[in-house]
Amino acid sequence: MSDPVPSTQPQLELRQVTKRFGGVAAVDGVTFEVAKGDIVGIIGPNGAGKTTLLNCISGLHRLNGGDIRWQGASISGMAPHRIAKLGIGRTFQIVRPFGSMSVRENAAIGALFGSADARRRPKEAFEIADEVLALVGLAAKAGHPVSALTIPDRKRLEVARAVATRPHLLLLDEVMAGLNNVEIDEALEMVRAVHATGVTVLLIEHVMRVIIGICRRAIVLDFGQVLAQGEPDVVLRDERVIQAYLGERYAKRLKP
Amino acid sequence: MLLILGVIVAGYALLAPLTSLDAAQSAGAPLLADRLWFHIATFIAMFVVMATAWNIIGGITGYAAFGNVAFFGIGAYTTGMLIAKAKWPFLAALPVAPVVSTAFATLVGLPLLRLRGHYFAVASLGVGVAVGELVQNVEYGGQPVFGGASGLFLPIYAVDNRGLFFFYLMVLAAALSIAVTWWVLRSRFGYGLIAIRENEEAAAVIGVNTTAYKVAAFALAAALTGLAGGIFSQWNVFINQDNAFPIEYNVQMILMALLGGTGTVFGPAAGAVLLQLLIQFLGGSLPVSAEIPFVSDTARPIVAQVILGVLLVTVVIFVPRGVIDFFGGRTRLSMSYLRRSLRETSL
Repeated sequence: MSDPVPSTQPQLELRQVTKRFGGVAAVDGVTFEVAKGDIVGIIGPNGAGKTTLLNCISGLHRLNGGDIRWQGASISGMAPHRIAKLGIGRTFQIVRPFGSMSVRENAAIGALFGSADARRRPKEAFEIADEVLALVGLAAKAGHPVSALTIPDRKRLEVARAVATRPHLLLLDEVMAGLNNVEIDEALEMVRAVHATGVTVLLIEHVMRVIIGICRRAIVLDFGQVLAQGEPDVVLRDERVIQAYLGERYAKRLKP
Repeated sequence: MLLILGVIVAGYALLAPLTSLDAAQSAGAPLLADRLWFHIATFIAMFVVMATAWNIIGGITGYAAFGNVAFFGIGAYTTGMLIAKAKWPFLAALPVAPVVSTAFATLVGLPLLRLRGHYFAVASLGVGVAVGELVQNVEYGGQPVFGGASGLFLPIYAVDNRGLFFFYLMVLAAALSIAVTWWVLRSRFGYGLIAIRENEEAAAVIGVNTTAYKVAAFALAAALTGLAGGIFSQWNVFINQDNAFPIEYNVQMILMALLGGTGTVFGPAAGAVLLQLLIQFLGGSLPVSAEIPFVSDTARPIVAQVILGVLLVTVVIFVPRGVIDFFGGRTRLSMSYLRRSLRETSL
């Protein structure tokens, strides 16, 4: 599988992005860029602000400060559906399928509304849904009701619905959490397959194997701030990162 | 299958009164009872419109609107005022009713539909009550603008066989509501509404303009409900706060949609027919009304309220998908069905 080479032009830029809930700054002056075609991981301990950051990018939260730019233009304060139409798709950590619909219909809804280029008819949307379900490995279960899906399959469906919107950038919020090793391998394949179609991927993940396995860059968040960023294996050896995850005592003990 | 059933039911509803009227006239039989049946049939068709329209915002979009009677009343008063005060002909005044109720729904929908769940339900109920009060009490220069407490009298519409005319008009409105619902459920618009019902944030991040879609669904429900109100005003010739803004309609149309099956094309219509017949029977208005054991005639309306309440609870718990679920041959009413429903609906 030939991965698309990331270009140098930033597709997504975050500048001093800040989101406060009451007195707590869940995201506090976060600045980073994502290049087109890249695949970037965001890691950090629980409560570090990872999901809040994704909510800021997809427009579910309004920023208290800073700016988010997409292909050079600011998208701060834009409604979620408009951001989706610009080509930013996302999944939710706790899956949110449309429960009364079949697997195929769930994916079709993504195709019906996502892309800005065409107002699709339901029939075309179902064709796209079938393609996407094949890509994520759900083709055999297209007719099933969502309630009949296992947890890993629901996570696949979450990805399928987002991919069906034909995004340029896909935000994945812990699609591998709660999966066993075999399922993680399958999910990794799925993310690689999606990435290979030319989609930039920004993913939140706790599973280090995932970050090291597919990410070109990793960004570590702690208390809403960027603690470190760079190549995954370098970042994960960073003492501050180890401290954030394991505490100071363990970090010292790990020192050679 | 369901479609065929619907066509049969609709066809029967259309033709049955014709034959019975002919039979009654030719035989010189109790024409009074026949007129009553007509009245009831028109009433049923009116509720088919209201329940089907409610289904668009309440069933398909998942926003439990408790104030839809406001649209009915606004429609009734729009047509009523145009006929009674501006001397418009009925058929010119009728199309204005849905226009005004739609405009009103869009206006109040924008702030109201920001609320979710119980908050929306209560706020919409408030709007429903408030509009009725406003219409009755608005005065200008010491004179009530909309007829005030004494209501609004319309000139009788000159047409041969008025009963039949308004029955067909109301059935036409009912057919239109069902056709609109059928179209909605097959369109991009409908998929967007269902997505909002299932998970509003998930709908937004795949590109559904949730605000615009919710307001559009609310406005569409208002248009159809307003149309029914417009027909009602000329049919009934007299409107006031009590018959144009009856609070109990709010609950009845929701109960009809629930009983029949929310989110479906024919469910609310089926529920409207069943429940309206039951309400008329319990209220003692049906020509065939049998006595209810141990209940005096004066106590009937109270007993009717109690029975409707019990029915609502029973339906919500045991038949959550409505009676329409039993048509089409996929599910059958059985003990295991009831047990499964109880498991699904109990928390």
